[in-house]
Amino acid sequence: MRQFVKGNPDLCIGCRTCMIGCVVEHEGRRIFEIDPDGYDFNPKLHVVKTAKVSVPVQCKHCENPACMAACPVGCIKVINDAVVIDQKECIGCKSCMQACPFGVIDVISQVGTSQSDGSKRVVANKCDLCVGTGNGPACVRVCPTEALKLVSEEAMQESVQKKRVATAEAAKAIADAMAD
Amino acid sequence: MTMGVHEIEDAKLIFNFGYNGADSHPIVQRRIVRAKQKGATIICADPRVTECARIADVHMQLKGGTNIALVNAMCNVVYNEGLVDQKFIDEKTVDYDAFVEVIKKYTPEYAETICHVPAETIRKAARMYAKAPSAMILYGMGVCQFGQAVDVVKALGSLALMTGNYGKPASGIGPVRGQNNVQGACDMGALPNNYPGYQNVTKPEIQEKFEKAWGVKLSNKVGVPLTHVPQRVLEEKDPKKQLHAYYIFGEDPVQSDPDAEEVREALEKLDFVVVQDIFMNKTAEFADVILPGTSWNEHDGVYSCCDRGFQRIRKVLEPPKGVKLDWEIICEISTAMGYKMKYKNTEEIWNELIDLCPNFAGATYAKLEKYGNIQWPCRSKDDSDKGTVVLHQGKFANPDGKGKFYTADWRPPQELENEEYPLSLSTVREVGHYSVRTMTGNCRTLRNLEDEPGWIQMNPADCEKLGIKHGDLVKVVNKRGWCITRCNATERVAKGATYMTYQWWIGCCNELTIGSNLDPVSNTPEYKYCNCRVEKLDDQAKAWEYVNTEYKSIRERMGIKMVGKEAV
Repeated sequence: MRQFVKGNPDLCIGCRTCMIGCVVEHEGRRIFEIDPDGYDFNPKLHVVKTAKVSVPVQCKHCENPACMAACPVGCIKVINDAVVIDQKECIGCKSCMQACPFGVIDVISQVGTSQSDGSKRVVANKCDLCVGTGNGPACVRVCPTEALKLVSEEAMQESVQKKRVATAEAAKAIADAMAD
Repeated sequence: MTMGVHEIEDAKLIFNFGYNGADSHPIVQRRIVRAKQKGATIICADPRVTECARIADVHMQLKGGTNIALVNAMCNVVYNEGLVDQKFIDEKTVDYDAFVEVIKKYTPEYAETICHVPAETIRKAARMYAKAPSAMILYGMGVCQFGQAVDVVKALGSLALMTGNYGKPASGIGPVRGQNNVQGACDMGALPNNYPGYQNVTKPEIQEKFEKAWGVKLSNKVGVPLTHVPQRVLEEKDPKKQLHAYYIFGEDPVQSDPDAEEVREALEKLDFVVVQDIFMNKTAEFADVILPGTSWNEHDGVYSCCDRGFQRIRKVLEPPKGVKLDWEIICEISTAMGYKMKYKNTEEIWNELIDLCPNFAGATYAKLEKYGNIQWPCRSKDDSDKGTVVLHQGKFANPDGKGKFYTADWRPPQELENEEYPLSLSTVREVGHYSVRTMTGNCRTLRNLEDEPGWIQMNPADCEKLGIKHGDLVKVVNKRGWCITRCNATERVAKGATYMTYQWWIGCCNELTIGSNLDPVSNTPEYKYCNCRVEKLDDQAKAWEYVNTEYKSIRERMGIKMVGKEAV
């Protein structure tokens, strides 16, 4: 079962530190040194605020990813058990963006690249769990209220097991009540 | 604050009034979130759905400018339902009867007509607050930035008095002060009426003490509050009372004071203006002399937290070549003006200061080093005095040792909505940008998150009426001024009310705010209420061209080096 990062709206204060943490992790420290137009600010997660909720949303790293199925050039791959877009191969067709039921894929213009007409390349962008950095997801690390958690297979299993036990105990309680 | 910030996490109940921690102080909001996770009840009074309102057990979404009606009504419920702490009232307070006379009129039903909070919700909140084993009130600029502000603070204090919520852990009342070290500025006597340590300039024995210590004759007259400056420059007829010179230190009044046009006129008319700051700003454009200062990490010193906690700050960076430390600049100015001021380091300054302030006397550098944080009062240099977390234990700070009840009748804000200007406008904060944009506007990732020309928060129904969409540039205007900003359509604000943050150079809401309705005690302006009209801009492309040209021009004036695409 693939891991994913999950936001908790009861803890989130909408500060968007996660979005900055994400960009800094993917751009590296050079973000503080290079010319302001030397990088694009393209967070791979987004804090959504409505009347009732504030929470970051990002890729769920589905087991059967609709984005992967929709990609005509096969540039969405599983790397280290994370669903990752290979932006070098992406043709910017937006199929994945439309296919994703959670709205967590963007298309972004990529700095330092150009296509045949000289304009910047536009590619798909989404959470990659900071795969390859060796640090784990930056958003989880930087959140001041610990509102983001990396949900592992073990954590999922543990939570499901707890719910199963609760369901079993509820079944017993119902049976006892009916016997009365 | 009568409590310590760290105590917020242990609160059983937090009554959060006109305080938006998530945007102003995320690190304090973290403690509110933790308190909630640990089971605290949260009551929030705010005209907007803030992050705190969102997690609150009860949210009272009151109409702006009606604070005291709501507080009086809560007191009314506590009184009428017999939820008071009579023993506490009898033993530790005065003026209860006069207070009760005022609150009698404020039934929840009557308050509902003023503040638009359902009477039943007021009852529910009042009962929750009064029945909690201990309850803490936190308030912010939503209380202080009105023409009627100090009355509301006293009324909130009285609500805590009538329920005995003082002198015990995680209780009391806490103004979560707006800016880093604003408490320190007050503690150190950067007020028109006080020497350091809240010692009044009009008291002869205090005057004598400081004259003796400094070997110089001192004035016993109260100075001019910041918010009186424009009037003392532009309108004062008595030449002896007119202001001619203005030394501005770490402040950008053109950006942060109400009615920016009036502030500019005053600066223009002044004979001599000195600005000491770390970056160029809109006020420094009017300066005759600019003194480049040092930033928080380029000098040593002591900060006071809003809970009276002194903490050391330490230099980690060398200032740019030729830049003097702030305290060295002050010493040299003073010496040039005839008083020889000379210190070796900040510790020497601090030692002189604490010896002149009985409430700070025990907070030596050695103890600050050892304990990290000392909350005043800390009166003894003895190591056993580690300061005071909870104020008013056993008795209050008044000469008779009693807590004084007080409230007042509601006064509406000065400038209400009308046919020409049908919306209300309040200034607010946003996370990521601190105060005016002097520092955070120069931080590239924070600029990536939010940049000029800012936003005006509006209810979607009001946007629809005007035919504007989220993200559209709009013109916000009233009789004092105008600005261009973007429309943020959000259900977090009520119909008829709009909100803008005050740091943007272009989306500058202080072009519209009102400078004339100051609280009579604190002299704080009514930043939280004036009227306005929002106008649709049909030619969006032209409006964006205006924004971009204006931004470029201001950045050039501010001496910001532009590279790459920004320079084009």
